[in-house]
Amino acid sequence: MTKFDQDWAAREDAKRQWMTEHSLFREEDEHSSCGVGLVVSIDGSKSRKVVENGITALKAIWHRGAVDADGKTGDGAGIHVQIPHHFFGDQIRRTGHEARDGELLAVGQVFLPRTDFGAQETCRTIVESEVLRMGYYIYGWRHVPVNTECLGEKANATRPEIEQILISNTKGVDEETFERELYVIRRRIEKAAQAAGVSSLYICSLSCRSIIYKGMMLAEQVAVFYPDLMDERFESAFAIYHQRYSTNTFPQWWLAQPFRMLAHNGEINTINGNTNWMKSHEIRMASTTFGDMAEDIKPIIPQGASDSAALDAVFEVLVRAGRSAPMAKTMLVPEAWSKNAEELPQAWRDMYSYVNSVMEPWDGPAALAMTDGRWVCAGLDRNGLRPMRYVVTGDGLVIAGSEVGMVPTDEATVVEKGALGPGQLLAIDMAEGKLYHDVEIKDRLANARPFGDWVGKINDLEDELSGITETAYYTGAELKKRQIAAGYTIEELEQILAPMAEDGKEALASMGDDTPSAVLSTKYRPLSHFFRQNFSQVTNPPIDSLREFRVMSLKTRFGNLKNVLDEDSSQTEILVLDSPFVGNAQFDALKDHFNAPMTEIDCTFPVDGGPNALRDGLDRIRAEAEEAVRSGGGHIILTDQGQDEKNVAMPMILATSAVHSWLTRKGLRTFCSLGVRSAECIDPHYFAVLIGCGATIVNAYLAEDSLSDRIERGLLDCTLSEAVLRYRAAVDAGLLKIMAKMGISVISSYRGGLNFEAVGLSRALCAEFFPGMHSRISGIGIGGIQKKLLAVHKQGWLGGNTLPIGGFYKARKSGETHAWEAQSMHMLQSACDRASYEMWKQYSAKMQSNPPIHLRDLLDFKPLGKPVPIEEVESITSIRKRFVTPGMSLGALSPEAHRTLSIAMNRIGAKSDSGEGGESPDDFTPEPNGDNASAKIKQVASGRFGVTVEYLLACEELEIKVAQGAKPGEGGQLPGMKVTDLIAKLRHSTKGVTLISPPPHHDIYSIEDLAQLIYDLKQVNPRCKVTVKLVASSGVGTIAAGVAKAKADIILISGHNGGTGASPATSIKFAGLPWEMGLTEAHQVLAMNNLRERVTLRTDGGLRTGRDIVMAAMLGAEEYGIGTAALIAMGCIMVRQCQSNTCPVGVCTQDEALRAKFTGNADKVVNLITFYAQEVRELLASLGARSLDEVIGRADLLTQVSRGAAHLDDLDLNPLLISVDGADKIVYDRSKPRNAVPDTLDAQIVSDAARFLNDGEKMQLSYAVQNTHRTIGTRTSSHIVSKFGMRNALQPDHLTVKLTGSAGQSLGAFAAPGLKIEVSGDANDYVGKGLSGGTVVVRPPMHSPLVASENTIIGNTVLYGATDGYLFAAGRAGERFAVRNSGATAVIEGCGSNGCEYMTGGLAVILGSIGANFGAGMTGGMAYLYDPDGLALDLINMETLVTCPVTVDHWETQLRGLVERHAAETGSVKAKDILLHWDEQKGYFLQICPKEMLIHLPVPLAIERGAMPAE
Amino acid sequence: MAKEPMLKFVTVGRDMPSKRDAEDRKDDFLEIYGEYVEAKAEEQASRCSQCGVPYCQSHCPLHNNIPDWLRLTATGRLKEAYELSQATNTFPEICGRICPQDRLCEGNCVIEQSGHGTVTIGSVEKYITDTAWENGWVEMIAPTVEREESVGIIGSGPGGLAAADRLRRAGLKVTVYERSDRAGGLMMYGIPGFKLEKDIVLRRVKQLEDSGVEFVLNCNVGEDISFDAIRGKHDAVLIATGVYKSRDLKGPGSGSAGIVRALDYLTASNKVSFGDEVEDYLSGELNAADKKVVVIGGGDTAMDCVRTAIRQGATSVKCLYRRDRANMPGSQRETQNAEEEGVEFVWLSAPKGFAGDPVSGVMVQKMRLGQPDASGRQSPEVIEGADYVEDADLVIKALGFEPEDLPTLWGVEGLDVTRWGTVMADFKSHVTSLPGVYACGDIQRGASLVVWAIRDGREAADAMIEYIDQSVSVAAE
Repeated sequence: MTKFDQDWAAREDAKRQWMTEHSLFREEDEHSSCGVGLVVSIDGSKSRKVVENGITALKAIWHRGAVDADGKTGDGAGIHVQIPHHFFGDQIRRTGHEARDGELLAVGQVFLPRTDFGAQETCRTIVESEVLRMGYYIYGWRHVPVNTECLGEKANATRPEIEQILISNTKGVDEETFERELYVIRRRIEKAAQAAGVSSLYICSLSCRSIIYKGMMLAEQVAVFYPDLMDERFESAFAIYHQRYSTNTFPQWWLAQPFRMLAHNGEINTINGNTNWMKSHEIRMASTTFGDMAEDIKPIIPQGASDSAALDAVFEVLVRAGRSAPMAKTMLVPEAWSKNAEELPQAWRDMYSYVNSVMEPWDGPAALAMTDGRWVCAGLDRNGLRPMRYVVTGDGLVIAGSEVGMVPTDEATVVEKGALGPGQLLAIDMAEGKLYHDVEIKDRLANARPFGDWVGKINDLEDELSGITETAYYTGAELKKRQIAAGYTIEELEQILAPMAEDGKEALASMGDDTPSAVLSTKYRPLSHFFRQNFSQVTNPPIDSLREFRVMSLKTRFGNLKNVLDEDSSQTEILVLDSPFVGNAQFDALKDHFNAPMTEIDCTFPVDGGPNALRDGLDRIRAEAEEAVRSGGGHIILTDQGQDEKNVAMPMILATSAVHSWLTRKGLRTFCSLGVRSAECIDPHYFAVLIGCGATIVNAYLAEDSLSDRIERGLLDCTLSEAVLRYRAAVDAGLLKIMAKMGISVISSYRGGLNFEAVGLSRALCAEFFPGMHSRISGIGIGGIQKKLLAVHKQGWLGGNTLPIGGFYKARKSGETHAWEAQSMHMLQSACDRASYEMWKQYSAKMQSNPPIHLRDLLDFKPLGKPVPIEEVESITSIRKRFVTPGMSLGALSPEAHRTLSIAMNRIGAKSDSGEGGESPDDFTPEPNGDNASAKIKQVASGRFGVTVEYLLACEELEIKVAQGAKPGEGGQLPGMKVTDLIAKLRHSTKGVTLISPPPHHDIYSIEDLAQLIYDLKQVNPRCKVTVKLVASSGVGTIAAGVAKAKADIILISGHNGGTGASPATSIKFAGLPWEMGLTEAHQVLAMNNLRERVTLRTDGGLRTGRDIVMAAMLGAEEYGIGTAALIAMGCIMVRQCQSNTCPVGVCTQDEALRAKFTGNADKVVNLITFYAQEVRELLASLGARSLDEVIGRADLLTQVSRGAAHLDDLDLNPLLISVDGADKIVYDRSKPRNAVPDTLDAQIVSDAARFLNDGEKMQLSYAVQNTHRTIGTRTSSHIVSKFGMRNALQPDHLTVKLTGSAGQSLGAFAAPGLKIEVSGDANDYVGKGLSGGTVVVRPPMHSPLVASENTIIGNTVLYGATDGYLFAAGRAGERFAVRNSGATAVIEGCGSNGCEYMTGGLAVILGSIGANFGAGMTGGMAYLYDPDGLALDLINMETLVTCPVTVDHWETQLRGLVERHAAETGSVKAKDILLHWDEQKGYFLQICPKEMLIHLPVPLAIERGAMPAE
Repeated sequence: MAKEPMLKFVTVGRDMPSKRDAEDRKDDFLEIYGEYVEAKAEEQASRCSQCGVPYCQSHCPLHNNIPDWLRLTATGRLKEAYELSQATNTFPEICGRICPQDRLCEGNCVIEQSGHGTVTIGSVEKYITDTAWENGWVEMIAPTVEREESVGIIGSGPGGLAAADRLRRAGLKVTVYERSDRAGGLMMYGIPGFKLEKDIVLRRVKQLEDSGVEFVLNCNVGEDISFDAIRGKHDAVLIATGVYKSRDLKGPGSGSAGIVRALDYLTASNKVSFGDEVEDYLSGELNAADKKVVVIGGGDTAMDCVRTAIRQGATSVKCLYRRDRANMPGSQRETQNAEEEGVEFVWLSAPKGFAGDPVSGVMVQKMRLGQPDASGRQSPEVIEGADYVEDADLVIKALGFEPEDLPTLWGVEGLDVTRWGTVMADFKSHVTSLPGVYACGDIQRGASLVVWAIRDGREAADAMIEYIDQSVSVAAE
C-alpha cells in the first residue's frame, strides 16, 4: 500500500508558495508537453473497442511522459470519452431514480478536497446550488471507485476526492442549449468556489455528451486507477487521450489533460500576448449567445491556467458560441497562408484573412486532439513541429496520435496511413459519419460563410505607401541636439544604423558581452537596455526565421478590432501594412487613410516640472488617451517630437506601455490603434520592445533623419527612400529573428505580449506600467529614470554638439565599462606566460577594482567559520578537475587553439569541450608524447556536424547544446571562407561551402524529444554522461527540472555573456540573463523538487577570478566553464573580429598566415586553471572551508553589500540568496554513476548477435516490434564500432535485423557500417538519425493493401545529421526529411514540408510529391525529385539551388542505380513501374543541386548557360 | 554586405611616409618625414583591425579614439576624422610628429604585437590635422557665451596652451604669462625643427591669439610680476612652467668651458633658425660646427642634441650612455635616425670627469649591466680598469631636467612641493595646496612627454571651470 502522509501536500504547497514569493521560482514558468492522440469511430457508433483502443494507446506512450523520483507519480494522463448512458443509467437506478427514456443526462466529473471535510461540503453545496439555480434536477452524487495502489506517494498525497454529479435535463432543452448552460453552470461554480476560498474544487468535465477521467498516474495506469473504464458497459464513439510530461514535479491533478475540449502536445509560445489580448476581447465577446449570463463566463481564461488550459478555455467559448470544432481550431491555430509557395484557393485565403483580422493566432508547437461533441479533430499548428500520425482502419476507426503503432491494427485491411502536415486538420463528423481530410474540411469551412464579402473592406496600404518619397524632419544642429538627447552615439550610428541602411541587415559582431547591466551602469542607457528578450529552449523550439520564413509574418493590421464572436463584415474594416515599421513620410500619408478620428499625444514633460514631472506626464498621457478613445478616437499617436530646451522626451517604451496597459485595463485597447514615433528607437531590439509593449506601428523618425544626414554628407549613395527601405528590411529581419527566437511566427501574437524579462527595473514600475512582465531583482524606478533623462536631455539641448563616441559594443575609454581591458588582459597573459601567481593576484585585484559590472559584484562572502590553515583545504589538483573549457568549435577556433585547449585540460584531469564541428579521428588517441588532443566532452549541437558513432564514443561526456549564451534561440553560420579542407573533412561537407546550424535541434521540439535524444545518446555510448547546455533565462529552473527528469546527468547554465564567433550585435547584447540568476533559479527549483542530487550543475559565462568561482559555487554550481579567459591565456586580445577570419593572433581564424602567429601553448592554459584553483583554495581557507563541496549551494554565505547607485529604487538581490528547505541535506557527488536509462530491443539483439560481435560471423535476426521499442540498432552499432571500427571491412548486411510492426522513434539512429535493419511495417520519427554507415529499409507488410507512395511510412526529421549509409523507405516521410544530411543516401516515395533542409551532403531520391520549402538552406549534396505533374518547382526554396532535368549519363546512371536498388530492397511497386518505362519516366525527374556545389561536381550538370534561375 | 573597408593588415604591409635620406637631411633643420598622399593615408589607416579593446587608445595618455578616426580616414571622411581627433587632443598634428608612438599607441598596436607591423597611427594623425589646416577646417575658438571670469596661466608650453584652449572654449578670459620671447615652451625652443617645424607651433599660438587668448611674453614671474599679483588679477591660476633646471654632472673638470647644458644648446639653435642673433652661438660656445661633440645621456633630449650637432657641421658626434641600447629611455626610432645621420653611440659608458679647460676630452668608465632592479631595469655597474678618454671639444649634458624652486623663486607661501621639487597637486583635478591654483605638466609630474602635458592641461582646465562655476554660484547665493 502506498504510504500516505496527510501533511505532505500542505507542507509542499506552503513551500512552493513561499518560494514563489521569495525565490526566483515562478509557477507560471512551468511547462508541459506530451503524447496525445485520439481514436474515433467514423460513423459515430459507440463501442467498447474504441475505449479499449484508447486505453491501449495510453499504455504505448509511457515513454513520452516522465516519472517522479518515487518511480510512480506520473506527470498526468487521462482519457476523454462519451458518456456511456447504460452505465450511468444503471447508476441512477441504483439511487432509486429512473432516468426518463431519451432524456439527456449530464455527468460532472468533480475533484473535491479530500481531507478537509468542511471544504468538501462547501463544494458540494456550491455545485448543487448552481445546478439548481439554472433550473436542472440532480439525481445525486456518485463516488468514483479508484484503485490507489498504482499511485505514487506524491500523487496519493495530493489525490482529491473524485465524485460524479448526475444531472437531469428537466428543462427539456435541446442538446446545444443544455451544453451551453452546463458551461455557464461550471463557470459559475468555479467563480463561487474562488469566492468561497476553496481552491481545490475542480471540474474535469460537466457535459451531457462526454466525460474525462484523468489524474497523476502513469499513462498505463489510467484504467487501473479508474476501474470504471474497464466496465463492459463503458462504450464510446471516440476517445481522446493524453500523457503529460511536465517540467514541474509537484503533482497537480487538475493540470492533467485532456481538458474539456482538447488535449495538446506542445507549447503555446504566444501565450503572453494571447492572454493579454483576451482581456480586451472578452469584454466585447459578450455575445448574444450568453446574453445576460455573459458576465459569468469572464474571465474566459482562469487565473493560473497553463497554456494548454488557456487555449482550451478560449476554444470552449468559441464552440459554445456556435463555432464547430474545426472552425474554432482554424480561428485559433490557423495555418500559414500569406506566403505559401502554392497559392491557396481564394476562399481559403479569404477565410484566413478574416480569421486573422479578429484573432491573434495561438501559435504552437502544437499537436491537438479535440472534440466539440459532434466533431472529433486532430490538427497541427502552422509550423508542424509536433508529429501527428493517423491510421484509418478497415473497420471504420480513425486512430491518430503522436506516434504510429500505438494501437495494433490489422495491416491486411488498413485503408490509409498518413501524417498531418503544418497547419493541417483531420476532422471526423460523427453525426454525418464522414471523415474529412485537410482539403475537404477547409473547403467546407471556407465555403460555409461569405468570407470573401467580409474581407472586402480590408484596406491594404502597402503598395501605396511603398511608393512615397521619404523626407527628414530635422537636420543640422537641431538634428545633432536631438541625437545627443536621445542618447545616440557615433558607434550606434556607424556600427548599428549605417550597416542596416547599407546592407539591409544587421552588422555582425563576435565574442561576449562584458559590459555592466543597464541597472549597474553609470552611463545613460536607453530603457530598452533593461529588457532581455525571451527565447525558447527545450520545451519549445525557436523557429528558423531565415530558412522557414514562409510561416512568419509581420502583417500589421490596425483599426477597430471588433467582437471576436461576431461573424459579419463589421469587424473587417481595417488597414493592413506588411510591417509595423513606418517611415516619416509614410506615417504622414497613413494619417490620411485613418478611418476614425486620430489623436496625437505629446509624450514630453517639462524640465522644471519638479521631482514628479515624469510621473505626472505619464498620468497625463494615460488620461488623454482614455479621453480620446472614449470620445470615439480610433487612432492614438504617441510622439516625443515635441521635446525642446524646456521639455524632455519620455522614454517611448514607458509611454507606450503606460498607455497600452491603461487602455487594456479600461477595456478600451481594442477600440484603437497605437502609433508610436520615437527618437530613441534605432535598433531592432528597441522596435521589438515597443511592439511588445503594445505599439501597433512604429516610426523611428530620428533614425531616419540620421540616415538622411548621412546621405547629405555623401556617405550613403542612394535616396532616402532607398535607405529607409533597406533599414526597414533589416529591422523586419531583426523583428522576425526576435520573434522566432521564442517560437512566435506572427507579429500580432507578439504585440503586447511583453515577451521580455526586465533586469533592474523597479518592481513597482513594472507592476504599474508593464503588468505581467517579470522583474525579479528590482532596480531603477520612475524617479531614477527621470534623473537620467534630465541629464541626457541637458547634454543634448544645452551641451556641446559632439556626439559621444560610444563604447557599448567595443571598448572606448570614455564609454561603457568593459570587464576586459588592455591592462587586465596583459596581466593575465603575463601571469600565464611566466607562471607567476603574483601577477595573477594583481590581475585578480584589478578585476575586483572594476566598478560593478555583474550582479555578483554587489555581493560579498560571509565566512563559514574561522579561517583554516591552507594545507587542510582540498588540493589544487582536486579543484582543477572541476573546470571545463566550454564548447568552442574547431572552425571558429583555429586547429592550433582547439588542440591546445584539449591537451591542456586533459593534462590536469579537467575537461575540454569539442564544440560543434567534429574532431579529427586521428586525435581520438594520445600522441606519442602522451598528450591527448581529444576533447573529453563532445558536443551535439543543432548542426550535428561530424557527429558519428566514432565521435560519440570518443568521450566521457556528451553535451547537447540547446542554446548558446551569446545568442540563445539563434542558429549559426560558418562562412565558406572558413571552411578549409580540414574543416570540410571533419564536418562531412565541401571546402568553401557555407555551413548553417539551424536555430532549433530538429529533433528537440519539446521536452519529451529531449528525453528521446538523451536516450539515443545513452544508447550509443554506454558509459558517457549526458550534459544539457541551457542559457539562463526566467523559467530555466523548471526547464532544468524537466531536463533532470529526462535523465540528463549534468546541466550547464550558461550566462548571457558567453562568447560567439559571429552573431548580430544586438543578439549578443539583449537576450539571456546573467548566470547568477539562471544558476540560482535552477539550483533552487531542482532542490525544491528533490532533483538536485540527480544532476551536476555547471555554469559558465564571464568567470574571471577565483572569487567568481566561489560565488558560483555558493549559488549552486559544482563545475565551472572558462572560455574567454582561456582564449586570452592563449593570446586572444579581444579584437572582436572573429567573424572576419582575420584574427591577428591566430586564435580564431583558419587563415594559414594568421595561424602562424599563434603563440598559445598548453602550459599557459594549465597555468590559468591552476591560478583559478589556487585562488579558490586560498579563498576557501579564509572562509573556513576545507573543500568546495562545503560551500556549494550555500547562498546563505553571500550577503549583499551594495544596493547599487543612489538613483535606484532598490536593487534587491535577496531572491538570489534564498536557500530551499532541506537543501542542506543534498549530497554533491560528481563521481556518481550516470542516470540509467532502460534497455531497448538492442539488449536482446546484442546478446543474440554474440557470434557476429565476437567472431565477425554473418548473422540474421528477426523480431516483432512496436512503437515502445525505441532507438533500435544504436547500441548494436556502438558495439560494432568498438569492435570493428567505423571504417571497417564488414559487409553492408553483415548483421541483418528484420523487424515486423511499428518501430519506435530513432530507428537505426547512428547505425554503423555492417548493420542492416529491415522493417516490415512502419516507423516513427527520427529514422536514421546520425546514420553513420548502416542501412535502414522500411517497407509495408507484404499483405498491406496500401499504395505505398500515398501513405506515410516513416515520421518526421529522418536522417537528421546523417553522415553515411543508406535508407530505403517504400512510402512517404514526414516533415524535414533528410534535414542536415551530410552523407547518407536515401530513396523514399514522398515527403512533407522542409525536405532536405540545410543538407550539406549525401543524396536524396524522392519518388513522390514533396511539401513546401524543399531544400531551404541546402548547401551540399544532391536531390532527385520524381515530378511527373510538374508541381515540384513551386515547392522548392530556390535561394541556394539550381535545378535541371537529368540528361547527363553520369547522373542518370547514379539515379537509375538507386531506383533499382530501392526496388530490390523494398519491392516498391512505384520504383518497378518507373524502371519499366525508364526512358520515358526519366524525363520526369528533376535534379537539384546547390549553387555553391556546382564548381565542385566531378561531372557538370545539364544546365545550359543562362538557364540558371534568376536570383 | 557592404565591403569591409578595414582589417587590411592581412594583405597590406606597414608603410611609413617617405623619410628623407640622411645625406639630404643632415644639412638642414626641416622635418625629415614626408606627408602621406591621400590614397596612402587611406590605405595605411585601413590596416587597423578595429579592435574590441583598442590597446592604442589604452596606451595613449589622451585616450584618443584612434580606431574611429582611422576608420574615418580609410573611408575618406577626413573632416570628421579631424573633428574626432581634435575632440580628445588639442594639438594632434604636434603629437603626430613628436610623440614616441613606438612606446605608446603604435608600440601597443595589436597588429604590431602580433607581428604584422603596426598601423602608422602617428603619421595618419599628422596627416589628418595638416589636411584640416590646409582646408581651413581649423577654426578660431568662438565660445557660445563670453564670461567675466578670467584665468592666468604661467607658461606657454603644451600644458599651458592645452588649458588655454579649453578654458577659452568655455568662454573664460585667458592670459598666458611666458618667460621667453616666444610662446610655445619646449615645443618652440626645446624641440629641434627637424622634428617639429616651428610654423606648426606658431600657427597654433596664432589660433589662440586670434581666439582671444592674451599672451604676455618676456614676463618672468617673481621679477616682472609677482605671483600674488597674478592670483589677484584672475579667478584661478595655472602653473604650467615646465622643468628647466638641468641635472648636472659632478667629477673633475666638470666646470670647464665647453661643457654646456642641452637646453641652452637647443634653444640657441632654434633661435638661430628664426634668424635671431644669439650671442653664445656666434661666439661658438653653443655651436658645434667643426667640433668633436660628445653628448652625455640617452633620452630624447640627447637625441635632439646629437642630431642638431650633426646639422651644425660637427666633425664627429658621439653619444655616451651608461646602459645599452635596449635599456635607453629615448625613442628607438630617434636613435635609428641619429645613427643614419652619422652619430656614433658609445653604449655602457659613463663620464667620470673631464680633461682640459676648455674641455678636450671626457674620461669614460666602461659599464656592464647587473641584476634588474625593482622596476625591471638592469642597473649599470662599473668595470674596473677599463677607463679611457674620449676626445671632445664640446660636451653637451643631456641628463634630464629638474624643477626650479618655485616657492622661493616666486616668493609664494603655502605652495607645497614634493621632495623632488615638483608642485604638489591632485593628479585628477590638478589643484595645488592653494585654492584656485592649479598645476599641470612637467612642473607637476616631473619631466615627461608633450602628450602628458596636453592631457594634464585639459584636465586642469576642466577642474578650473568647475571651480569657477562653483565660486560663481556660491557668490550668487
